[in-house]
Amino acid sequence: MSKNNSEFSVVGKRIPKLDAAQKAMGRAEYIQDIKMPGMLYGKILYSKYASAKIIKIDISKAMALPGVHVVLTGEDVPKKMKMGFYKDNPPIKKDKVCSFRDEVAAVAAISPEIAKKALDLIEIEYEEQIGIFDPEKAMEKDAPLVHEHTKSNVLKLPWNIHYGDVEKAEKESAFVVEDRFTTTGVTHCCMGTSGALALFDATENLTVYTNTQIPSLAQKDFLETLKILGLENKRVRVIKPIIGGGFGSKLDTYAYEHIAILLAYKCRKPVKIVFDRVEEFKATSTRQPTVTYIRQGCDKNGKLTFRDIRMILDNGAYTSWGATTPTVMMMPISSLYRVKNIRYNAKCVYTNNTYSQAMRGYGNPQATFAIESNIDMLAEKAGIDPIEFRRINQNVPNETTPQGFKITTCGLAECINEVEKELKSGIAKEKGVGVGMASLIHVGGGARIYKSDGCGAILKMDDYGKVDIFTGGTDMGQGMDNITAQIVAEELGLLAEDINVVHSDTDICPWDVGAHASRSTFVAGNAALGAAKKVKQKIQEFASKLFDVPAEEIKFKNKLVFVPGDQEKSMPIDKLLRKAHFSKNGTMLMADYFYDPDNESFGKDFKCNLSATYTFGVHGVKVNVDEETGKVEVLDYIAAHDVGQAINPLLLEGQVYGGVLMGLGYALTEEVVQKNGENMNANFRDYKLFTAKDAVNIKAPVFETADEAGPFGAKGIGEPGCVPTAPAVGNAIYDAVGVRIKDLPITPEKVLAALKEKNG
Amino acid sequence: MATNIFFKLNGDEISYEVKDHWTLLHLLREEMGLIGTKEGCGNGECGACTVIVDKLAVNSCLYLAIEIEGKTVETIEGLASTSGTLHPIQQSFVENGGIQCGFCSPGMIMSSKALLDENPDADREEIKHALAGNICRCTGYIQIFESVEAVKGMGGQNE
Amino acid sequence: MKAFKYLSPTTVEEAIAFHDQHSETAKYIGGGTDVIVKVKEGWLEPDYLISLKKIGEMSELHKNDATGELSIGAMVTHATLEKSLMIQNEYPIIYDAVSNIGSLQVRNVGTIGGNLINAVPSADGAIPLIALDGIALLHGPDGERSVEVKDLFIEPYKTVLKPREILKKITIPPQAPHTGSAYIKFGRRAAMELPLIGIGVLLTLADNLKICNTARICLGVAAPVPMRAFDAEKYLIGKKINEDILIEAGKIAADESKVRDSVRGKAWHRKEMIRVQVRRMGLKCLEIIKNNS
Repeated sequence: MSKNNSEFSVVGKRIPKLDAAQKAMGRAEYIQDIKMPGMLYGKILYSKYASAKIIKIDISKAMALPGVHVVLTGEDVPKKMKMGFYKDNPPIKKDKVCSFRDEVAAVAAISPEIAKKALDLIEIEYEEQIGIFDPEKAMEKDAPLVHEHTKSNVLKLPWNIHYGDVEKAEKESAFVVEDRFTTTGVTHCCMGTSGALALFDATENLTVYTNTQIPSLAQKDFLETLKILGLENKRVRVIKPIIGGGFGSKLDTYAYEHIAILLAYKCRKPVKIVFDRVEEFKATSTRQPTVTYIRQGCDKNGKLTFRDIRMILDNGAYTSWGATTPTVMMMPISSLYRVKNIRYNAKCVYTNNTYSQAMRGYGNPQATFAIESNIDMLAEKAGIDPIEFRRINQNVPNETTPQGFKITTCGLAECINEVEKELKSGIAKEKGVGVGMASLIHVGGGARIYKSDGCGAILKMDDYGKVDIFTGGTDMGQGMDNITAQIVAEELGLLAEDINVVHSDTDICPWDVGAHASRSTFVAGNAALGAAKKVKQKIQEFASKLFDVPAEEIKFKNKLVFVPGDQEKSMPIDKLLRKAHFSKNGTMLMADYFYDPDNESFGKDFKCNLSATYTFGVHGVKVNVDEETGKVEVLDYIAAHDVGQAINPLLLEGQVYGGVLMGLGYALTEEVVQKNGENMNANFRDYKLFTAKDAVNIKAPVFETADEAGPFGAKGIGEPGCVPTAPAVGNAIYDAVGVRIKDLPITPEKVLAALKEKNG
Repeated sequence: MATNIFFKLNGDEISYEVKDHWTLLHLLREEMGLIGTKEGCGNGECGACTVIVDKLAVNSCLYLAIEIEGKTVETIEGLASTSGTLHPIQQSFVENGGIQCGFCSPGMIMSSKALLDENPDADREEIKHALAGNICRCTGYIQIFESVEAVKGMGGQNE
Repeated sequence: MKAFKYLSPTTVEEAIAFHDQHSETAKYIGGGTDVIVKVKEGWLEPDYLISLKKIGEMSELHKNDATGELSIGAMVTHATLEKSLMIQNEYPIIYDAVSNIGSLQVRNVGTIGGNLINAVPSADGAIPLIALDGIALLHGPDGERSVEVKDLFIEPYKTVLKPREILKKITIPPQAPHTGSAYIKFGRRAAMELPLIGIGVLLTLADNLKICNTARICLGVAAPVPMRAFDAEKYLIGKKINEDILIEAGKIAADESKVRDSVRGKAWHRKEMIRVQVRRMGLKCLEIIKNNS
């Protein structure tokens, strides 16, 4: 659908993932597969209680076990060593435990079996204390404090915005609907479990192999750890093995990484910690659970007048990125559809539950669930068709939202039309069958949540027309490598296979803030494009002398450098490069480029243009609800997105399909079941991920609005697939059987209970 | 508590001394250095460790190594031909988007091979049923089905 | 995993002798999908595992066409049952149950006997065998004895098997003509599921295809052990079966059950599912009888 697609040679093509063959052969090396001479295995001991004092720890028996090299407790962790932006989380806890996942000791031994045995030999005397597990109760005046040094369980965070005048707008509204929605914790379930390998060299420089999505920021965190250990002025090298899934789970540094470093430092041997599946469930973080109170209003014509949202977030015992999800929730709250009057307040509350980090969508799915469910309710109250209601309020190109987001390209209207067509087609509705839709807005051009939103790329061309591009970006299966290769290949007239994308090593690769916010295509892509343009210019200058034409007339295609229309003035690019290299005053072809998008950090009242462009989409779903059992079956799904330009439709579809199924799990089956802070379903049997048998048919049309800021017009697509899924399903269930479930996941039990209540 | 066993592995006759309590997964990964087969959960609930024993897809994490005595074992490392060309199933997974992070892929590909070897014309429902024990978090399964369907009728062939 | 020695007897007698020799330090192992998990997690710490895999008679699946009796060796895998055309066509309730146990990888190795011995409340394997009036043949140091499958289970994870006893095979008596059977396991997702509830129904109609001669309503996860809803079964006998009758039977079965709340679901929901699925499986049975006549 893009006007440019036919002109592209490599961009827009369904090129297989560049590392797929290695993976298909079983040759890809994940953290699980890495071994080193003299390597020890680290294991972590976790708390037996949700809340307790640690009275005594005796590690003598563990230390005495043959094969054990190191045993650490909270005493061995310097006081300053704290993880997370709120700095409340030491990697090994001392004196007190505040959740079942608290690390209380760690061991390094010559085999994982011995390390496990050693954990069993560590004797800890606890004094159990009263825990608090409900965030709304934890806010009450006499609630037990999770951390004694704080005055309240409510964190001091500034998540408050008010644009326009919500109270006035409410008074002027013809229709208002309010309700309460809740979402639970779900978890990433990366197939490759977490792990890190730390080793020091002879001069105390540190190398860490880890599945991180933030190599540069992790490097910074580890340097900080070294400093606290008294190691000043050292180097830290972060190397990423092949990553077995990310989905946002690795956007913060984890206790196991710091513990691996501490163990390695103590014994000066490489130490590898790899989680087993139970640990992966219990000791990695969840998506941020939410309690949302929402009010929305519209005038008699269906135009939204205000949106007023109050949230309570279960912060768990320690603070990580879950507590910052409100900064992303502000995005749909202030900018999904055109609403002038917005108010939002979010409180993060300590409890003795597990804590949350980033997960695909980073708050957007939670907020969109409330907003888009409530929109259907409001449309019904106003007597307006829900699709038409959305059309009345749809975002349009070249408008600025109340938060200051500058919407440039916007294909929301096209997406709504496409989904409407799909939902209204097909056989007439039967009993129990219903359709529903929901829209999304997401950052598509990076997101300046840190001071820099940049990514660096270094490009090197050799004498054979092959390119190595060293990028700060991260591939965890989503295809950053292909996108980079295709962009560079397009610019230089090469094939994607000619490009080698190196992204694994901070010693070689430039800085990048991280693989988050669906920014890899846009930011890493633009960085690679910038470097390719520089190199292209150098080649053009050389060719210009060779062919005796102005540099701008030199074109690149099919591995040729040529002047269009002149058969004489054409040379294979590798021959040209060798000519450039092996002549007097020979040149080497390298270029670097640091791309930092033209977006803004949060200003006063969180106003800013957070991203250089925004991705829009609409999802539509047809469901069948078995009214006797409450089971919801997804019959058909359409996920339409405005992606700017599909750099690689094959991989794009993969992102959408995977995101949608993850979103459907969020909507229908997944939940981390906690009972008084204890994870009750830490396995694949009881944590209900969709299997192949649950897979649904998904149509994934794309609209290519050719965004000027994006590389070849592209915007990000990594997260949108799981953003509006839950409300689309919730709305379809309501359409089918007239009940609305406001608490995720929408299990058969909840549907059946609601039906019984409705039917009396 | 070790026993010497004979078995066939990826076409080779092997004699190996295995400890009675080793799982097949441990034998492959930790003892024989065949790291292609992955451990996803350790108790038969995810399929990442799937290998083929006497034509049947099994979870190697729950299969005792000693029990492959006299049997034919196929792992992901044995699929590509001796000349290095990918098996048609591997090639199809590569071309059709069946692989993203790749951690589930060896198990998924082996389950697919076991299916197509037995039922070369498996339809979508049969594919879903056969792969129900292989969890993938990345792909949403659709491109995996398409990868398998693209090589229907060709199952069992190398070269 | 804890180290153990693996023993591979070729006859039942040899297996029992090994077990006698090593008493409590030994454990039988069938397919291994339950035992190995337990050893890995530390619930079992055997010094010896006595494999039943090489005992030929335990792996036989055989229907005697003359008598109509079905013999299922305890070491027959779920996959073998699933793939058997004879099972699919003549014992649909077995097919329904075993074809959805775990995953194909688990079914290729897990055995019907192992499923029974493990005695988990869900027991997808047990329900169809109870509905078919299956009889378990046990062989121990004191010789052989038969126990009806419905009487095998004492409490979760505990059967009536005496120490050293081996479940050798299950025999299913000949099915009466005009018999239909069906099983459903209800859960949140389509595969790899431990059920919220399992319901197996078997109906035999008289020659006039109207009156019900035999009814079996078997429930899993409705009580500590697999149970039959005897009152509901009694209600159906002698009646002309139609949807209304099945609805009432479902209600009776739900009331008879001893469901409780668990991490997998609530008691009231389980009761509802019994009510609904007894009716649905009953209708399926009638459909099968009709198609076979």
